[in-house]
Amino acid sequence: MSGDVRGWRVALVPDALINPARGPGAGAPDVLTLLQAQGYGLLQLPPPGNHSLLLAVIADQIAEYAHHGYAVVAVGLRDAAGDGLHWRRLAPLLRHRGVSLPPRHFIRADADVEPEARRLAAFLAGYDLPPEERQRWRT
Amino acid sequence: MTTGSTPSKDTAVGRDPATPRKVALLANCLLNQNAKVCEGARYPGVASPVVEVLLRRGYQLQQLPCPELAFAGVRRWWAVYEQYDTPAYRAHCRRLAQGIAPLIEQYLRRGDELILIGLDGSPSTGVRFTSSQPNWGGRPNRPDDDWEIVQGRGVWIQELEAELARRGLPPVPATGWALDMGRFDEAGSREDLEHFLDDQGAAAPAGDDPTAR
Repeated sequence: MSGDVRGWRVALVPDALINPARGPGAGAPDVLTLLQAQGYGLLQLPPPGNHSLLLAVIADQIAEYAHHGYAVVAVGLRDAAGDGLHWRRLAPLLRHRGVSLPPRHFIRADADVEPEARRLAAFLAGYDLPPEERQRWRT
Repeated sequence: MTTGSTPSKDTAVGRDPATPRKVALLANCLLNQNAKVCEGARYPGVASPVVEVLLRRGYQLQQLPCPELAFAGVRRWWAVYEQYDTPAYRAHCRRLAQGIAPLIEQYLRRGDELILIGLDGSPSTGVRFTSSQPNWGGRPNRPDDDWEIVQGRGVWIQELEAELARRGLPPVPATGWALDMGRFDEAGSREDLEHFLDDQGAAAPAGDDPTAR
């Protein structure tokens, strides 16, 4: 793909970690900066509430990535409602679309920021599809 | 109020519901360049200059769904406005709009200041400009630069704005990051965005209830 610099990695991220200022993500590592440093794009999960249609739309997008050579991970916020990922609703939607559930990493907003940031950075850096899958799709 | 969502849980998640926020509705690909059509990604993931400018000015971020990705897939061909201007694609965009509109309505009802940053030049997400070539179709072998940039909204933005209007909500001030204008000028786009945000700062402060106007 000439001139195209996409990173081929996508993270599902709770609203509370994208907009942490006054929510339960306050005190968590700067997830946006860490994702940018690792070259991840992100899909934002909505705040708590019943967002059935929006979650279905997001699941459609995740399925498209998962079926075409993109690495998908999820970054949850421990102790937030549903870990901020709406997992009880999202997981069945993904299974219904034939998607293996992405690996999840959980952040604790009440833990020391630096170790939490290092753990997240290591998780993000360490995950990608196997080489044969990358070779198949990313040409 | 028309809403498909549970009423605001801001209190439950620790936000001060009385404090209005500045919220930027962002084209999906501004937070995720993997959504771009092949050869269209200018950043690995996040369009960092856009996010940096918005965060520095105190905006919270709300990502919009990507209509093209969920309709034609990640391996879709390039397309112009006329190719997406179909009943089926508009119905798809309306479904996406109905998914995100309840959140937008919540923001507006609580008095938050909203702006929309689309993607100028995009057939779907263009705000000030979209792409046009009435002759495109059939075998995808068009030469480079065989399309025009014309003034006007993309199909997705048209349908999103129509859905907000159906709910009785006011127009959201909007501009576009000029990623799909043929030749991308990042510095110029950044300056353009700063000017737009300056204009918003000179307008009504967050806290007014725009739905009451």
